[in-house]
Amino acid sequence: MTDSSNVPPKKSATDKSRRTALKSIAAGAGVVAASGTLPGLLGHAQAQSAEPIRIGFQVHRTGIGAAYGRWYDRTTEAVVKRINEEGGINGRPIEIVAEDDGTDPKRGAEVVEKFANQHKCDLAFGTLFSHVVFGSAPRAGELKIPYFVVSEGHHVASGKLNRYTLQPGITDVKSQVEAMGPFIANNLGKKVTMIFPDFAFGHDHRDYFTAAFENQGGTILEKIAIPPTETSFTKYFPKIPRDTEVIYHVMVGPAVLTFVKELGEFFGPSKPEIFGFIDSLEAVDLASPGLEFLEGTYFWEGMPRYAQADQSEFDKTYRAAVGVDENGASVSDPKDVSTYAHMFGCWETLYVVKAGMEASGYKGPDDRQKLIEAVEAMSDMPHSNEHPQGAKRFNGKTHQTFGHQYISKVDNGKLVLAHTTSIEDTLYEDEVDYTKQAF
Amino acid sequence: MNNPRTSLTASAICVAIVALVSPELVHAHVSEQGLVLLLPTAVYITSGVLAVVLTILLLAFMPVRWTHALFPNANATLDKKQTTDRSTPQTNEAAVESVPSSVSSKTDMSGFNRVEVTLSLLSTIFLFALLWTGLTGSHDPLENPLPLFIWTIWWIGFVVLQGVFGNLWRFVNPWTGLYQVAQGLLPVRRSFHLPDWLGVWPGVIALLLVMTFVLADVAPDAPERLSRIVALYWLFTLIGLLVFGEQWLRRCECFSMLLSRYAQLSVVGKRVGSLRVGFPGWPAFVTRATTISAAVFILVLLGSGSFDGLNETFSWLAFIGVNPLEFPGRSAIIDKTVLGLLAANALLIIVYAACVWAGTHWANQQAGTGTSVSFHSAFCQLAISMLPIAFVYHFAHFLTAFMVNAQYAVAAASDPFDSGADLLNLGTFYVTTGFMNSHHSVEAIWLTQAAAVVVGHVLSVILAHAIALDLFGSARRAIISQAPLAAFMVFYTFIGLWLLAAPRGA
Repeated sequence: MTDSSNVPPKKSATDKSRRTALKSIAAGAGVVAASGTLPGLLGHAQAQSAEPIRIGFQVHRTGIGAAYGRWYDRTTEAVVKRINEEGGINGRPIEIVAEDDGTDPKRGAEVVEKFANQHKCDLAFGTLFSHVVFGSAPRAGELKIPYFVVSEGHHVASGKLNRYTLQPGITDVKSQVEAMGPFIANNLGKKVTMIFPDFAFGHDHRDYFTAAFENQGGTILEKIAIPPTETSFTKYFPKIPRDTEVIYHVMVGPAVLTFVKELGEFFGPSKPEIFGFIDSLEAVDLASPGLEFLEGTYFWEGMPRYAQADQSEFDKTYRAAVGVDENGASVSDPKDVSTYAHMFGCWETLYVVKAGMEASGYKGPDDRQKLIEAVEAMSDMPHSNEHPQGAKRFNGKTHQTFGHQYISKVDNGKLVLAHTTSIEDTLYEDEVDYTKQAF
Repeated sequence: MNNPRTSLTASAICVAIVALVSPELVHAHVSEQGLVLLLPTAVYITSGVLAVVLTILLLAFMPVRWTHALFPNANATLDKKQTTDRSTPQTNEAAVESVPSSVSSKTDMSGFNRVEVTLSLLSTIFLFALLWTGLTGSHDPLENPLPLFIWTIWWIGFVVLQGVFGNLWRFVNPWTGLYQVAQGLLPVRRSFHLPDWLGVWPGVIALLLVMTFVLADVAPDAPERLSRIVALYWLFTLIGLLVFGEQWLRRCECFSMLLSRYAQLSVVGKRVGSLRVGFPGWPAFVTRATTISAAVFILVLLGSGSFDGLNETFSWLAFIGVNPLEFPGRSAIIDKTVLGLLAANALLIIVYAACVWAGTHWANQQAGTGTSVSFHSAFCQLAISMLPIAFVYHFAHFLTAFMVNAQYAVAAASDPFDSGADLLNLGTFYVTTGFMNSHHSVEAIWLTQAAAVVVGHVLSVILAHAIALDLFGSARRAIISQAPLAAFMVFYTFIGLWLLAAPRGA
């Protein structure tokens, strides 16, 4: 396999057009030829005359998801460049057709419709925010266009969507939260106080974690729900029971830094164990003021932001391709911290699409159902350049992938991996069997 | 095959059902705002407000001649009439333009030379090229040059340049060159006259429509859509210009009106046919409004800009019943955004009017020399003093957006047709928002924004004081007349700074 990390990245927009897609295939073929990897060369030869596979990229360019959208876009460009340099899919280059959904469900549905009807895309891909997935998935089902989301939400596996919607590149929040139960119970303490924002996001954490933690013999001493508009938290901290061994927090929004700072001021040096989700601080520099208090606390990470001592070759390849340094920041600006815990999903999803199209002999929109069936037939995916976050196990019935979860400890201002869950830790009972639904 | 309309309806129903039965995860994450919330903004806001209060106190004791030195036209402006009845608006076109003959109108085309016509024609060609890229280029609004140029380079950057350096729009207006050429070719040059009673109300309505599009539309950045809208607006304006002449740009074309107004805040202006440099805003002092509609235009500029900041705050979102950490998207609150925009402007006009009425009433009650000033005249003429506030808030509100999107604009300029070109030889080019991730840079940005807001209010206070001196004739009456409006400006300083510091969720 060609290691594209040795190929200097092009300008950010260079993989967007068919012309450039073919150009990058040509460049990749040179590397492939030099390394003597014949299949890639054949792919390149075919690609010279092949129509591109058009992938509609529903991206949060504006609206509240824009910070994530920027990194989803950067990761997508990197993986498309890499796939094209490897010969594309079935000898055809990928052409990304990006449309901004404004992080808006109504616009999201319009964008999916444009992909299907106007841009003649083979499939739609890339959505992160759950309400946009909810708004778009029904339209994808009606238009019978495969819709590969990178959302992390439980909506796919819950059975609330449809057969055309799949999430093969990122694990869902239910499995992430439930997998934290054993580690916390066995390593941090049996008595937990939860602090969470008082709306659906926080409620899901509350419900999923409570069930998982109590199964481990743990006790939730207190559940402190914070109103979403709150920007000062000191008045809530006296509610934390004195015998609390672990604080589980999932605060989000602009007041997170204030929350951490005030929590630190409240406890001083004698704090209980503290566990949180990196969602709270995704794309935030851990060197930010007030975050000193996080030293010694634990975080769930979708993928370790900091390159670890035993960093895999796959992580190295992935970081180099996306342009991320060993601290999870842009190679062009060490202060520009990426959404490292989530954006790998774009990379892995497009490799699943590639594998699905190759397995099904995908030729065009008439083969969309074959593509979905091919993905549904997938199961274990090894830790590899295609899956740099770790091995995955795809559940074809629920259209949801499962994978390792990472728990890191803040050590000298960096996140150091403390525990990796097994895939089994993340599994739960199926809630739907999409394969029984008609196309 | 599905009927599209039925399918859309089915989609909507499915979304509604899913939303009802399943409160789902919606990512809401910390942002750059987190660092702002850690800054001692309460101290900064207090300092800023005190700076404006201090300015007001200094003005109260400042010799009148100093004010006249700042605004040398103080005794020679069009509205300084010794009359007791100023309730009848001037309805001739000169009044509508709000520009006395001694100061060149910013859209006045009578003095256009060949260079300006050529530049305007080049600007038209450039606009057409942008419209073409909007239709045929990338569908991504951060890669396509059209939305980046319209909303970032022009709407943010150029507007600020106009306010600092004066009337640059005169050179790059995409209609005037073509209009001049057409005038030369047409056998008959007669233009229809817009009725006087119309004032600049068409421009006011156009501005409100534009702001509605900017704030409430689900996809104002979408390249193809924006391209069609801009093309239609360009054509509409050209037809208006050809039919009604240059008055169209002064009374109906809200962008030319807006840019002309902001140019009056510059230190540079034209007077008696030549360029002059003076105290910032001296052209605005001279060209202040004389009709209700012209005054309302300025107030709508301020009101809409303020609402643009307000509608993102936790406070506003909570007020309209939206969880700021779970913003549902623009499409869910279109009605509330439109109503909010209208209400914000209505409220501003009412409060401004009340302040002016109270000040005028008290000043007129003062015994002694001088004449009575009508509410109408004070309302119209003092409105220009709101302009610096609108301008600096425009700068402050959009500063960080400009810092990010200007990078995308550079990348788009290097590859305008999404062909993989690298015309600017950028090589690997990654857009960064790292400056929003550092305490020091966030603080520097915030203080820059806050300083601009305070400076704008200080200028507004000085401008209002100069106009009041001109209107009321004596320092004592001017100060009394200004008391309510000065209090309003102090309050607005607080609002402006608070908007910069407030947590945002949309």
